[in-house]
Amino acid sequence: MKVKSQREVAQSCLTPAAPWTAAHQAPPSMGFSSAKEMDETLAEFFRRTILKIPMTEMMTILKTWNFLSENQLQTVNFRQRKESIVQDLVLLCEENHASLNDAAHLDIIYTQFHRHQKIWDVFQMSKAPGDDIDLFDMEQFKSSFKKILQRALKNVTVSFRDAEENSVWIRIAWGTQYKKPNQYKPAYVVYYSQTPYAFTSSSRLKSNLPLLGQALTVASKHHQIVKMDLRSRYLDSLKAIVFKQYNQSFETHNCTTSLQEGSLGLDINMDSRIIHENKVEKERVQRVTQEIFGDYPQPRLEFAQYKLETKFKSDLNGGILAEREEPLRCLVKFSSPHLLEALKSLAPAGIADAPLSPLLTCIPNKGKNYFKIRDK
Amino acid sequence: MELANTLRQDGESRGGVLAHLERLETQVSKSRKKLEEPQNAQALEARIHELKRLRDKLRAEVKQRQARVKASTANVEPDQILEISEQEILERKQENMKAILQAYRFTGISGKLTSRGVCVCISTAFEGNLLDSYFVDLVMEKPLWIHHHSVPVFIPLEEISAKYLQTNTRHFLFVLWEYLNAYSGRKYQADRLQSDFAAFLVGPLQRNSLCNLLSFTYKVKPEGQSFPFCARLLYKDLTTTLPTDVTVTSQGTEALPSTWEEQRAAHENLFFTKPLHQVKGNIALSAPMTKVMGFQKNLSRLSGQGPFHLTRTTDKQVFRVKSTASRF
Repeated sequence: MKVKSQREVAQSCLTPAAPWTAAHQAPPSMGFSSAKEMDETLAEFFRRTILKIPMTEMMTILKTWNFLSENQLQTVNFRQRKESIVQDLVLLCEENHASLNDAAHLDIIYTQFHRHQKIWDVFQMSKAPGDDIDLFDMEQFKSSFKKILQRALKNVTVSFRDAEENSVWIRIAWGTQYKKPNQYKPAYVVYYSQTPYAFTSSSRLKSNLPLLGQALTVASKHHQIVKMDLRSRYLDSLKAIVFKQYNQSFETHNCTTSLQEGSLGLDINMDSRIIHENKVEKERVQRVTQEIFGDYPQPRLEFAQYKLETKFKSDLNGGILAEREEPLRCLVKFSSPHLLEALKSLAPAGIADAPLSPLLTCIPNKGKNYFKIRDK
Repeated sequence: MELANTLRQDGESRGGVLAHLERLETQVSKSRKKLEEPQNAQALEARIHELKRLRDKLRAEVKQRQARVKASTANVEPDQILEISEQEILERKQENMKAILQAYRFTGISGKLTSRGVCVCISTAFEGNLLDSYFVDLVMEKPLWIHHHSVPVFIPLEEISAKYLQTNTRHFLFVLWEYLNAYSGRKYQADRLQSDFAAFLVGPLQRNSLCNLLSFTYKVKPEGQSFPFCARLLYKDLTTTLPTDVTVTSQGTEALPSTWEEQRAAHENLFFTKPLHQVKGNIALSAPMTKVMGFQKNLSRLSGQGPFHLTRTTDKQVFRVKSTASRF
């Protein structure tokens, strides 16, 4: 009863973007109730995190979290209103003495399920030549990373979760010298061990980026870190681009791995009285498109941005702009739900000439979707 | 006639012109008919004659040709049978070749020519088990370059290709094969350890992408009390499947009794020399060692001498007792 009333108070007091106030000191348990009183702010964080989860995914995420046991989950009535379900779940968390670390884990799992909600940047690290073989120890990496951040910033929450293919998801809640970490605006880093790439969710708090870069570099035993001109919502596509895993069709003697017959879109069963006038040209366009884009599904990007800083070139002699010495500044942005598939279909649809400009087709190869074009 | 007269009387010009036109028309049609009929008949008859002639001629020709073909097939038949069998032989040879080309992957490095170069297939294996295959698609141009590949990102492909691809392509492929084969072997050992010996492991097996650092805690016996050992294996040479550094430590802070100390040292040695999952097998077999150790303790207690060293023969059946004391 005492717990509930405190929580009611907490709900009425806390404003949505409230920074963390001084931690509420829980009274020592008297041995009467098994549930220790949870910090108000922590309980609120649990409530908001669980409330974010859509009902269709609730059971999956809770099971992945593996903090509440099967029996405990069975005691919750999942047919009530969501508010009540969340309240019951938070109560269960309190019973289990859930800590901030457990809440952070739940937050990581939620983000892993909803990774498309964040925009991801890619960083590339490099080693000095002649470095030793990379004997990557995950535990060492984690402790080193945490130490570096905690040494620089007293108030920071760092949590880890191991993921597939020897990778780790890191969640960092930033604070300052005087303020507790803001748990509602964390930054995420995904790092695959023994690779030079790290993926970070674009955090609004840009000032901490150099520190994050330094921590990553030192903990993973690299020397330098550079931000790549590559950004997208689709983490898996970014991974496919930088790891060069997007084209996996190879010719072998055993079986042609995922090679498809190039269908020209011309039905063989069509009426023989219908002749395609531009058949030769169509075939050429198909061939060129297939050479450039391949038969594999393209990685998913939402935009490509070209910043032009070039002088104006004109065929006509004279004209105002031709005499201009300074370069023209111009920004061209291509947006699409699936940019590379859209580019691939331009030439076959007749909208553009084949082959397309290499500025467009080099995107996965160069691992860039931000370009700066200057005069040579 | 009366009508015609009335017509003529009504409008001299009209009746006259129209009637004149009519007369001309009838004249023309009559003359035409006269002309056509005989012409038509004549033309048709002539045509019929011609066609009949042509038909007969063609029939004769067809008969001739048929006769010729029959004669020739009679002569050619045995040749045709030979041709069929030659074709079968060729087909069988072709299939044989295809099978050989497919079997080349068992050598480790095989390839197929593509329109722009060659697609090399590197097949890995460990202890007779065929493991993953990796592909490198090379473009045969003046500076040789890699179009696309399926080599994992943590294998130092750029380094190896920078060193060898242009100067000595064969060596490049061989070095790449070494790295990939060793990686596959280490991965296989780690996977087997995790799956087959899960009962012996305390806690998860820590590994990294290259599988060149493995850290785990294990018990000698799956159940019952025993000192768990922490093993840490480092594979500093990426082209080997056996570790270069092994440390086996006891988990607790207290000092190990000497017998366990020996076992620990023995395990270290085993890790150095044998593949992981075989080591685990050996350790499992050495579980009855505890009985031996009990025997050892009793010996030293009774005789007041000690410590004794027990060595096992290779068939693990006979024990030789050796004492450090001078009396025995």
